[in-house]
Amino acid sequence: MLYELNDVVREYKGRVALNIPHLEIEAGKIYTLIGPNGAGKTTLLNLFAFLDQANSGDLRFVGESVSYSAKQLLALRRRVVLLDQYPILFTGPVWKNVEFGLKIRGMGKAERQQRVLEVLDLVGMQSFVDADAHKLSGGESKRVALARALALRPEVLLCDEPGANVDKENQEIILSILSRINGTEKTSVIFSTHYLAQGRRLADHTLMLEHGMLSTMVNENIYRALVIRREGGRAECQLAGRLLLSLPEDMIDRDIKDFKLQIDPEGIVYAPERNGQEGNNIITGHVEQLNQDRGRVLIGLDLGVKLFFFLPMAEYLKQPPAIGSKVTVALPDRSFRCSSM
Amino acid sequence: MGLLLDSLQSAFLLLISFDPELLVIVGVSLKVSIVSTLIAAVAGVPAGFFIAHSRFIGKRFVLTCLNTLLALPTVVIGLVVYSFISRRGILGPLDLLYTQNAIIIGQVILIVPLITSLTIAAISRIDNRYRKTALTLGATHVQMALVIIREARFGICAAIIAAFGRVIAEVGISMMLGGNARGFTRTMTTAMALEYDKGEFVLAVALGLTLMTIAFAVNMLFHFFQGRTRVDVV
Repeated sequence: MLYELNDVVREYKGRVALNIPHLEIEAGKIYTLIGPNGAGKTTLLNLFAFLDQANSGDLRFVGESVSYSAKQLLALRRRVVLLDQYPILFTGPVWKNVEFGLKIRGMGKAERQQRVLEVLDLVGMQSFVDADAHKLSGGESKRVALARALALRPEVLLCDEPGANVDKENQEIILSILSRINGTEKTSVIFSTHYLAQGRRLADHTLMLEHGMLSTMVNENIYRALVIRREGGRAECQLAGRLLLSLPEDMIDRDIKDFKLQIDPEGIVYAPERNGQEGNNIITGHVEQLNQDRGRVLIGLDLGVKLFFFLPMAEYLKQPPAIGSKVTVALPDRSFRCSSM
Repeated sequence: MGLLLDSLQSAFLLLISFDPELLVIVGVSLKVSIVSTLIAAVAGVPAGFFIAHSRFIGKRFVLTCLNTLLALPTVVIGLVVYSFISRRGILGPLDLLYTQNAIIIGQVILIVPLITSLTIAAISRIDNRYRKTALTLGATHVQMALVIIREARFGICAAIIAAFGRVIAEVGISMMLGGNARGFTRTMTTAMALEYDKGEFVLAVALGLTLMTIAFAVNMLFHFFQGRTRVDVV
């Protein structure tokens, strides 16, 4: 195992930012951390990068427990690199930034120069080798920061929101580089993102985080819901002031009116009339978004609120819904999960 | 008005004739000021970095003390150092009183708080991501500190220049600890005070002009570095 976490808790001023009972990360794979703001993604990446220490619990790296002694920390940090969400470049030319890590490791000048050109070429920034690092755009800075990390040929590359704060073109370049170095150098990659589709497209494994805890639910399809009335064992709820759904009454505590409802995109049934699905919560909306997702299609439906669900590629190809077309879905009771606000 | 114009004219002639006494006084002033600034920088910059970058109990108290020391009058420093280095003081046997070293000791005490405070301000302005980036790229704590000092270098240079400006223009410490001995501990400011007491304005005005020129050059440098810092922050 590359990383193994047991009962890891990280608190900031009494607030639990991360609480992971058990987690294993395999070497040589791409992992994505998905979760909303404040879910604990950056905290977990900082722990993986050995830039932060948990308040309690055990973190193991390649089978060895991390003791956080100064000597061990330096050795570990030299095997792992974290690319910040908003990376900062040192004052000076681009080449000096890229060679920083190599220079402090005592690499010879000629070898350094060659490696700098190599990685700048990899990220498509070779023509910027002498440019002033502080005069680059956001996307260019991110690519130079990625080159600076890749120059060290780390065992693990950690990226905090690699697609954030850059345009679509730079996003694609950065993500394709992550995929490429995982394939060619066998570098383990762990990156965080807000976007499920983006994460799943690239990653071998997806880790979902919510309120600092690993979650089995994706962070999409989370709504604020209000109980309108309770009748015959069902509770009628209104989502975001728009969509009405009927939920089993025992899912929601008697005294709760306002709660958080998650709808599992894996549990939604497409075209229920064809699949013989009957009952409550059969609703029709317009297709707003279509994304390919490793053998499946992620469909974004406009129902007054946006609802995502997955469709196997074979099923999608039978009668592919187009953007704007009407689609009916059923939301079975098993797809609901309720929690307090 | 006539007295001032006559003094200015004579002072100007004294300056362009490279009067030996004037050159010695300027030389002593520059020597003690440069040495004391360098010593204070060696002590103040790392101290400022340490205070800015570490969390410890009583940090706020240390910062308050530093700010208080910025207002310390030179005569108070002169008195305190005098009590240590006078013949009856514990450092009396070292025979430091009325030497250039005595002036340097006093001036170092005067400007260490200034350099430390301004270094703290310069380091605190540096984005914390520099620290994090240096560490994740494999830097040791010393290498990380060098990265941060490099990023804050314009602010730190401005701190050192401000300190130099402070010591070259001070008179209390030089007079009390140096004794204003001709050709030995006589600095520009003490010489000016003496000439004024004697009613001899020519040398005083010439020294004043030299001091103002140096102060002007120092301030030009200060503003140059401050400007660079501001551009960096933006």
